[in-house]
Amino acid sequence: MEFIKKENNYSKLIRTEILFTPLLIILPITVSFLLIFDWYIRGFLENNTVMYNGELIIGVVILIVNFIFDIPFIKSLKAFSKKNG
Amino acid sequence: MVKVIEKIQDTKRIINSIDFDAHWYRRVFHTFGASFLIYYMLPTDIHWINFLKSWIPIIIVNIAIVLEVLRLKGKINSDYFFGLRVYEKNRVGSYVFFGVAILILLRFFPQQIAIPCILCACIADPLMGEIRNRFGIKYVYIFGFVICMLFFMISWYKADIRLLLIASIFGAIGAVIGETKKFWWIDDDFMIQMVPAVMLFIIWISIPYLGFNYPDPIIYQGVIGV
Repeated sequence: MEFIKKENNYSKLIRTEILFTPLLIILPITVSFLLIFDWYIRGFLENNTVMYNGELIIGVVILIVNFIFDIPFIKSLKAFSKKNG
Repeated sequence: MVKVIEKIQDTKRIINSIDFDAHWYRRVFHTFGASFLIYYMLPTDIHWINFLKSWIPIIIVNIAIVLEVLRLKGKINSDYFFGLRVYEKNRVGSYVFFGVAILILLRFFPQQIAIPCILCACIADPLMGEIRNRFGIKYVYIFGFVICMLFFMISWYKADIRLLLIASIFGAIGAVIGETKKFWWIDDDFMIQMVPAVMLFIIWISIPYLGFNYPDPIIYQGVIGV
């Protein structure tokens, strides 16, 4: 995969990334928790799981996949920040 | 001479680290798109929420379009657009295609079609990219088909089993075609969503003629009982 190479302004690059990082990571996890919580409140507690199982599965899928990609992303971000001071 | 070689190796290492970083950034940007599913949880009977629900996605996409126009015209430096690929330098960035496709799905398609198509772009696409990088292109088709089919099965699990299979198979085929068939003028982030959406929409309008009932929605409005 070829990306546009920036010649010297690493701090500008990392700043853009850091600016969006909380949103990129927190929002999908929040949405997945809301879906799971909704399944629990309206599905599980009200004994209506069949209707809400879709929300549970989608919530769990979003949560797992986000963790799969968030961990290497944060690691790479940390490594990159260290390397460039 | 030794110093020059060291300098070259250092530069190469830095460039590689940017590749790696941009790579994961793009992956996370994809998975972030799944957040838009909150659209279906927000109630429509509360006026201000309905207003925000209608306008926020349009505003976000329009901001992205304006930024992209300014970037292509050279008014904004490309340095601010982290993770752009080389072929996107003089072409509309994939994030705009990604946003436009999500907006079209949210506004014009029933959620039974929109949800799996959005999940294909947000989850199957980065997973397929990783499979391509690690195992090669031939595994992408198989893995992509299976994962996309699962998303369509999850979204249509309330439908008749025959309709579920038809929708899942056609949807997954559409998503894999959308992802693997490359055009220079349009991005695969758009195609992976719109190709299966159009195919499923044809099935959707045929449902009464096929003798099936429309499946119930997957995500219900009024999250946590609001």
